[in-house]
Amino acid sequence: MPHTDIPVLQTRRLVLRGPEPEDYPDFRATFASYRSRFMGGPLNKYETWILYAAEIGHWLIRGFGMWVIRDKATDETYGMAGGWQPAGWPEREIAWIIWPDKAGRGFALEATNEARRYFYEEQGWDGAVSYIDPKNLDSIRLAERLGAVRDPDAATIDGSDVVYRHPAPGRLRNSQISDGIALEISHYSDPLFKPKGFPLD
Amino acid sequence: MPLTNAPTLQSDRLILRGPELRDFEPLAAFFADEERAWGFGGAETRADAWRWFASNIGHWHIHGYGYFTIEMRAGGQPAGLSGIWNPEGWPEPELGWLVFAEWEGRGVAHEAAMRARAWAYEELGFKTLTSNILPGNTRSVALAERLGARYERTYENVTMGRDMLYRHPGPEDL
Repeated sequence: MPHTDIPVLQTRRLVLRGPEPEDYPDFRATFASYRSRFMGGPLNKYETWILYAAEIGHWLIRGFGMWVIRDKATDETYGMAGGWQPAGWPEREIAWIIWPDKAGRGFALEATNEARRYFYEEQGWDGAVSYIDPKNLDSIRLAERLGAVRDPDAATIDGSDVVYRHPAPGRLRNSQISDGIALEISHYSDPLFKPKGFPLD
Repeated sequence: MPLTNAPTLQSDRLILRGPELRDFEPLAAFFADEERAWGFGGAETRADAWRWFASNIGHWHIHGYGYFTIEMRAGGQPAGLSGIWNPEGWPEPELGWLVFAEWEGRGVAHEAAMRARAWAYEELGFKTLTSNILPGNTRSVALAERLGARYERTYENVTMGRDMLYRHPGPEDL
């Protein structure tokens, strides 16, 4: 699969594209920052570049990988999300990272939800996990918003991470979880969105 | 399924081609052999070796060059790697090489590095190339000198520490 054959996905606000050389500066800034502390960082410039090159290589080796999250309208990049399974990973992971100054606008939720849909519906995945540093409360919250549940029996990467297991495709399809995610995304996408009325019970 | 856009080059006994999935196991075995791998660096564990392998593929996509796998024309076995390496933080594009244990001592690295260097000069338009060699790596120093490279300076490499830089003859000198 040539690098250019990485699929392009779209959501309401976002486009997910394969990592390109010109996206590298934002990635470098993030991995040089404290933001990357739960992902093995901060890294020096060599380590960061090598990791970015590996993000591309991962797609070619595995046939899946991490997309760059871009704004549909402005093309600005917000972070990365997708699948990740380098050597040493017990299972396929759904992973995400948002650039430090782009957090809090629901981009990770919107991108990760679409990535998971793609892996489940287009690539036939029967499940996925997320490996999370237990101190990374933002990521734990996102995993829970995605319907993932801590799996204390699953193998970890190196014992310093906890495993969140995503709902399997059958459990996710037309579920309360996916309705809740869609509702949350519409709330982020359209700040004027207001539910019509309130439930009485 | 090609993993990169790398061309396929030939020399007397060798084929230089882009990395393929079947190259990973011999490469991981090389990295696991500290005696041989210390001078090359890059990977201490199997997981590191996999990341390095993935990075080399990405390196090809980002730069249009990287490490070729050296394949024996007779038999088709992967015998090592040679190519041009230029991650961020590197002093200059580097001509590098490594040979798997069972193919040592047959001039494989020399023949491959000659071919990769000629390609970089003729096809990529490089005007100069260097090789970075850790102090004490006498075998690589000997090979660099056989290739006509000369010691230029010692510097601090971003990941390898104190490192020697050898400069190859340019395209006009060859």
